[in-house]
Order: sequence, then structure tokens, then C-alpha cells
Amino acid sequence: MIALLVPMFLLVAATGAGVVLAREPRRQALAIAVNGVALSLLFVALRAPDVAYSEIAVGTALVPLMFLSVLVSLKTDRPKS
Amino acid sequence: MTRRMRLVLAALCALMIAPAVVAVIGRMPAFGHHPLPYGDAINRTTVAQRHVTNMVSAVNFDYRAFDTLGEELMLVAAVTGTLVLLRGRRGESLSDRAAQAGERPVCERSEAVTLACRLFFPIIVTFGIYVIMHAQLTPGGGFQGGAIIASGTLLLYLGESYRLWRRLVHSLLFDMMEATGAIVLVLCGLGPMLRGAAFLENVLPLGQTGALICGGIILVENAGVALAVTAGFILLLVEFLEETRATRDGGGS
Repeated sequence: MIALLVPMFLLVAATGAGVVLAREPRRQALAIAVNGVALSLLFVALRAPDVAYSEIAVGTALVPLMFLSVLVSLKTDRPKS
Repeated sequence: MTRRMRLVLAALCALMIAPAVVAVIGRMPAFGHHPLPYGDAINRTTVAQRHVTNMVSAVNFDYRAFDTLGEELMLVAAVTGTLVLLRGRRGESLSDRAAQAGERPVCERSEAVTLACRLFFPIIVTFGIYVIMHAQLTPGGGFQGGAIIASGTLLLYLGESYRLWRRLVHSLLFDMMEATGAIVLVLCGLGPMLRGAAFLENVLPLGQTGALICGGIILVENAGVALAVTAGFILLLVEFLEETRATRDGGGS
């Protein structure tokens, strides 16, 4: 069990650092999604499937989708210079 | 403040907190061991007491249903507040009409994207409904299923057009759905009192363990949460996207 958990924790730490280090908004949204996948894998490994479900539905799908769709609208809204 | 000053300040703060952090980590129970009896008690007794196999749903919608009631009302209040804030500027009369994007050309959808969205939209919504309906049996429930359905509706926007998405995802319908979810939850609390039971007491027949319909009030409350969460997330998506478009009357940004 521990052998499985250690790489999971490292993965969460690495993807979490990715969220902080990504500076471009669209990359940030995708980094949040990747971090959500890593977190939900960790939750499954810790035998908390309900929390993993919430994390993947909200953290990986809904929030990045919300960010991305709004960012796309904002981007194309800007007049071309 | 220069970068150097900030780093020095951060290091000083870290040094000051360090002893407390070390002390707390030293006193923590070993990984995977906890001194709390509650979870084990739930695992032992829930199947016999409530005829459900998902303990998380039993806790959320029955044993600690009072917390869920508060949480859902908080969610409804937060969504309502956001809607009032965002709709306030556009005005209520425009809320069921798609906003215009001014001079912006319409994005052409490639056929592959449209096909993929048409294929996956029904699958995702069906999966969301499945997750909601099996809250009492397997992991998942109203909240997770609601979030899945809400994000699934975005595929209509991605694959078809903003206008079609806004026509199908009608604000008024989801306003009512949101309110219905909250009302169902409150009635779950008040209903049992008509029979002389306590607020939120599970007075409905429990059914057979493992059947799709089991757990009594857990099912009703789960349905209420599913309604409130689905509508809440969809309304947030609508309002956020609407905010990025100029309205027909030239207002907005």
C-alpha cells in the first residue's frame, strides 16, 4: 500500500507545483485539471471513492471547463490590433 | 517590497512556525491509524439499520442530513447571490435570451468536434443520471452526478453554438429546478414532523438492501441535492459565459 501511495503523493506535489508555476491562464486551467486527476487517483488509493468522484467531477471537469470557456470568449472578444 | 525582502520575510516566518509544525507532526497518529470510533461504528451498523451499501450517502443524507441541509442552502444562497450580482447589470428581462458578442465572428465548429459532442453529450448525461440514481448503492451521489450533468451541457455549446446552448439551457427552467431542490430538502426535514417524528428522521420504508430503491429518505434527499447542484452549476456556467458577451442593447463589456 505504502509503495503505491508514495508515488501518488509525489505526483500530487509535482502537479500542484505545476499549477503554481504555470503563468498563462489557459495553461493554468489545464494544470488544475491535471492536478485534479492526480488528487482523485490518490483518493482512490486511500479508499475514498466518493471524494475521488467529487474531485474528478468538479476539479478536473467543471472548474477548468468553466475557466477555459470563459477564457476563449474573452480572448476572441478583444479587437484585433 | 523587493523580491529579496520578501524571501527574507518568508524565511523568518517559516523559522518561527517550524517548532510548532514539528511538534504537531510528532504527535500525529501513525499513517492510516485514527483514534476515532465513529467511522467504524457506521461501517458496522449502517447496512442493518438503513439497508444501504454506500456509507457515505448514509452519513450525508441520513445520520448527518442536518449538515447537508445547511450545505445545500448555502450553495443555493451562493448561486443566488452570484446570479443577482451578474444579472443585476444586464437586467432580469434579458436573462433568458442569448447575449450578442458584438462584432465577433461566429466560430466555425469542425465536423469532427460536432460529431464527438453529439455522441458524448447523451452518454455523459446518462452517466450523470446513473451516478445520481445509485447514490445509496455505489460511490457517487447527487452532488457528483449533478456536476457531471452540468459540465456535460457545455458540450452543446462546444459542438453546436452558443445560441443553441442558451436556448436549450433555459435560465427560467433551471431557476425553478434550483428552488425545487432546496424545497425538497426542507420538506425532507419538515415532512417527518407531520407524523410526530423528529426533524429529518428517516420515516419512509427502507426497502430491500441492494435494491435500486432502498434507504427511505436518503433517496428523496439525494434527489433534492441532485436538482439543486445540477441547476446551480448550470446557472453559474450560463451567467459566467453570458458575462463575457455584450448585450443586444449595447451595454456590458
